[in-house]
Amino acid sequence: MNTTNPLKVLVLGLILLQACAPTRVVKPLQKGEQQVSVHLGGPLLKFGGAPIPMPLSSVAYARGLNDKTTAFGSLHTTALLFGVIQTDIGICRELYSHPAGFGISVNPVLNIAVDTWEGNKKLWPELSLNAYQSLYQKKLLLYAGSSTWFELASKRAHGETQPNRALFHAQLGLQYQRKKFSYTLEGKYLGMGLPTQPNVVDYIGLQNKGALGIYLGLTRRF
Amino acid sequence: MKKTHFLYLAFSLILSSCLRLDSNLYNLSDKISEYKRDGFTGTQDFRLDASYDIPDSLVLPLTLKSHSVKENRDYSIRAFFIGHRARIATDTVIVYCHGNKWHMDFYWQRAKLLAHVGGKNRYGVLYMDYRGYGLSEGTPSEEGLYEDVDACLNWLKQEGLNNERLIMYGFSMGTSAATELSSKPRSLTPHKLILEAPFASAAVMAADGAGLDMPSSFFTNLKIDNAEEIKQVKQPFLWMHGVNDLFLGIKTHGEVVFKNHTGSYKEAHRIDGADHGEVPATWGFRNYIETLSAFITKP
Repeated sequence: MNTTNPLKVLVLGLILLQACAPTRVVKPLQKGEQQVSVHLGGPLLKFGGAPIPMPLSSVAYARGLNDKTTAFGSLHTTALLFGVIQTDIGICRELYSHPAGFGISVNPVLNIAVDTWEGNKKLWPELSLNAYQSLYQKKLLLYAGSSTWFELASKRAHGETQPNRALFHAQLGLQYQRKKFSYTLEGKYLGMGLPTQPNVVDYIGLQNKGALGIYLGLTRRF
Repeated sequence: MKKTHFLYLAFSLILSSCLRLDSNLYNLSDKISEYKRDGFTGTQDFRLDASYDIPDSLVLPLTLKSHSVKENRDYSIRAFFIGHRARIATDTVIVYCHGNKWHMDFYWQRAKLLAHVGGKNRYGVLYMDYRGYGLSEGTPSEEGLYEDVDACLNWLKQEGLNNERLIMYGFSMGTSAATELSSKPRSLTPHKLILEAPFASAAVMAADGAGLDMPSSFFTNLKIDNAEEIKQVKQPFLWMHGVNDLFLGIKTHGEVVFKNHTGSYKEAHRIDGADHGEVPATWGFRNYIETLSAFITKP
């Protein structure tokens, strides 16, 4: 039975806005280098029978602390329109790099959200691991990895046991890098293996598990 | 731009943030200009055969005033009473609080089914369109839901109904009004409560949707807190839920509500194979009717 209307499904999809953004930094910046990014995209939903990505947006700032470590922070602008102040702050740390352009990085991240309605807050850590390869004279950066959100609360509403203490995601992305700008396309598989039905949101996953997401990014370096 | 101007702009943006899911949660997409009942040709969960027909003489259209405390004004809401009006003062009435979809025409088949509990037109049935639904005035709100159902209870009270003969039935979104008015009675105190495919709460909706335990206030001001309200319900309680409910999962919604009822009597009916809205048809109309009849007449 269809109890929902398309707009409801569209807007309810924003539920994932709390935890949904592409990888902020894959390859650490050089010391002192800065960048500002705008990200747009989200999980795919069924909208009027057609799949569409949620138009979730955020802006992020990053700065190279040294050649191997970059700090970053963000503001989720769509969440802000809902009266929710949300940020994810973290670092990108290079674990391994090869002169041929291959590297591995890790991103410990802290997600924080506070709503302006009732003052409720949520904090959840995230850990991402990415492998990347520069291609075509560093014009392209191909990367793949995984990220995990950690649920710190053991109980959820009404004292029920929290069923998911960790949510796993996989990402595959491509950056086209120009002198000052770079453009990112990233695909994610959110909540791998997590049943998406029953649910009030019509996520598009794989065999009713998880949600596929698409993200676009525009970055300006300084 | 000066830094102070930027801060002012950012602060203003936060304060002016007004996007909420609340108004989008109500499904009013099928607009009607009149109630057609059996003549309604839109999508329906099921259609009953002619043996369930109700004569027009036993269908009383009502236009009632529902007072909004918050806005200090009245809304004109529409309702149908099915049955013998004169018996309201002496016999049982089932008040049916319908779900989120559309209007009373969509739920007419369900109302007819209830009008056959205990035999054809054995009990009176009253159901209504909440404000903003069908031909009822206004825009929906959680408190408006409660006020509109209570306006119907008030009409029944004026017709002579008392607490002992009132059965409250809620389906899906309508379970919020049924539960609220059973735990915090207004015009009348329901004698028994029936919930079909209830919400647990907006908090569970948010947590189910997000995967993590996100506060519902991140998305909506609605509470629909049946899982907590039901703790105050001491009346006998019947719960039914489709095991295959893909909208309000039986585990995270229905089971929590059932578990939290602490009254002296409750019964559960988990209907294999039934999705949201499919309980009566999947269970079988006869089983559905007989189960409700037994519950209502149970001492």
